[in-house]
Amino acid sequence: MSEAVNNAYAEAIGAVARAEGQASTVERELVAVASAITGSDELRTTLGDTKIPAARRIQIVEDLLGGNAAPATVSIVSLIVANGRVGDLEAIAKAVLNRGAAARGEEVAEVRSAVALNDEQIERLAAALKAKLHRDVTIRNIVDPSVLGGIITQVGETLLDGSVRTRMTQLREAF
Amino acid sequence: MIAFLAAGNGNWLPHDINEVYWGTAAFLIVFGLIIWKAGPAIKTAIAARPARIAEELGSAATARASGEAKVAEVKNALADSDKEAARIIDEARQTASRLSSDTVARAEAEAVAIRERGAADLVAARRQAQADLTNEVSRLALGAAERVVDANLTDDTQQALIDSYISQVGATN
Repeated sequence: MSEAVNNAYAEAIGAVARAEGQASTVERELVAVASAITGSDELRTTLGDTKIPAARRIQIVEDLLGGNAAPATVSIVSLIVANGRVGDLEAIAKAVLNRGAAARGEEVAEVRSAVALNDEQIERLAAALKAKLHRDVTIRNIVDPSVLGGIITQVGETLLDGSVRTRMTQLREAF
Repeated sequence: MIAFLAAGNGNWLPHDINEVYWGTAAFLIVFGLIIWKAGPAIKTAIAARPARIAEELGSAATARASGEAKVAEVKNALADSDKEAARIIDEARQTASRLSSDTVARAEAEAVAIRERGAADLVAARRQAQADLTNEVSRLALGAAERVVDANLTDDTQQALIDSYISQVGATN
């Protein structure tokens, strides 16, 4: 039921983003926003609290994203927050990304990093992954502080781990 | 004679001579009865006495022989018991000697085993101490390394790590 609802949201969001001509941008920003909200207990709790008026929650979203994200992205996140589906935001973003990638004939590369990658880094990484894997990829950047530093990329069954966390783990196991 | 005596001065005869007669007659009757009735038995007893004495002497001789045999038997038994005592004492000495030897051998074996166990325990304790020390050093070193990494993970370092990763991915196609 929830997955079906998420897919419905993803389909609608994808249609709006394509109509705005910002499909890739919306996908990338939506994933980044979902990751940021999911990683913050305070933000997730506040935006998910339906006792707070929807207008107030939307205002919080606009204050956070205004000027930092495309207007289409801000509108879509506001809609999801107003509908009380903040808990599903990450799943919806993932579904949007998967659908967009599939529509472009690309594969989703899940990229975990301690800090968010900028657009230039995402483009370079996508190009590097295409050169390495010989297929087009869409980057889904997830901010994960446990990575400590560096990047962990998962594309299908392929895992490219260049994280500080893994280096530290290897160092610990080496002793 | 009675009549003569009675006819004497009469100082030592009873006053009534009839008592003498009757008393003598009674005595003779009793004496005769005794001779008649007990005589054969007395004669038989007297005749059997030597045989009985001889028999008793024989029995005594037999008893003496038996006693002497018993004495000899006891003497033999005593001699045997002395031998048995000597054998038991000798056997006890041998047993004690063997037990002593066994005890010494067992004690030596146990001492060897204890020494070996002690050596093994020492080696194990040394290895454990080395492992503990290595783990502790590793833990301290890793802790220090993690602190150094945390302290040096600035924004610039993060960007450098990301750029380095992207470059490596692009270089390994």
